Amino acid sequence: MESELPTFKEKNPQLEVVTELIRGQHPHLKGFYKNKNERVVCVKNMTPEDILLYGTRLRNALGRKVVKLKTRHVTKHPSVQGTWTTDVKF
Amino acid sequence: MAHRRCLLSLARHATAIISQKKMPPLSAVEVLTRKPNPAITIPNSELSWFSFWSHSRHFSSSKSEDSETEVEVEMEEASDVEAENDNAASDLGRDYSPEEKEAEAVAIGYKIGSHQFKVSNGDSIFTERLKFCEVNDKLILNKVLLLGSPTQTIIGRPILPDAAVHAVVEEHALDAKVIIFKKKRRKNYRRTKGHRQELTKLRITDIQGIEKQEIKTDGKPLKAAVKNPEKIAAAV
Repeated sequence: MESELPTFKEKNPQLEVVTELIRGQHPHLKGFYKNKNERVVCVKNMTPEDILLYGTRLRNALGRKVVKLKTRHVTKHPSVQGTWTTDVKF
Repeated sequence: MAHRRCLLSLARHATAIISQKKMPPLSAVEVLTRKPNPAITIPNSELSWFSFWSHSRHFSSSKSEDSETEVEVEMEEASDVEAENDNAASDLGRDYSPEEKEAEAVAIGYKIGSHQFKVSNGDSIFTERLKFCEVNDKLILNKVLLLGSPTQTIIGRPILPDAAVHAVVEEHALDAKVIIFKKKRRKNYRRTKGHRQELTKLRITDIQGIEKQEIKTDGKPLKAAVKNPEKIAAAV
């Protein structure tokens, strides 16, 4: 992990990476997102490559709550030329 | 069989309605596929066509069945497209086909990763994970099936050559976990498997290829839905 951390820090200058030693708990990664969301990933018994993978995933993701998606397409303008109703004449 | 189908469609196109746009030379594409050597320098106009199709192989776009010759072409150009994909600002290597419809903010429907979407400016799309782009990358999606606006519709056959959709990668995230549970009753068989799909969220920023109408605060815009000039643009 120590080998990967400096490169990770350099690649993401916008992130603040803090390492702490916590005794009596499993090692974990904690991601703080802008919408005041925290995501915790336990990395007990993981290789440095795996930890890097999880770290990159946390970095890639927004702080959205992980729920099943209702639709794959979120739009504000569902219709361009006007939604069809029975009154529409061409 | 696929070759015959292509020739048939070619003949149909020739006898069909006039296309003002230049027919991208399918014959030229066929000629070029004979050359297996990837080191040949290919003129820029052809290069864009190759970059169209090279990714459709990776992402199993169903568009590839339309162009049988391009399947061979993809393999040659894969190496070239990888270099293109490392561009910092915008990647041209997207070969998904967008179907576009334009609103005052440009609505587009496009096909990406073998799914088709109808998109307008400023909305977000969840697609399969795109391997080669980081967060905050700009993408240009080339395969546009249809462009629309309140007054005009441009239909591509099957895609429009000069249309583009700009999108920005918002995030790469995992979907929620689905549990796949299999059971056969009375047979002592029970399996549980968890699966999280990797998704990419794209936000559409711009659509090009059609004149946009800025809708002022004029009340109802064209609710009568008069589709005025329908330009049928022949493509491919």
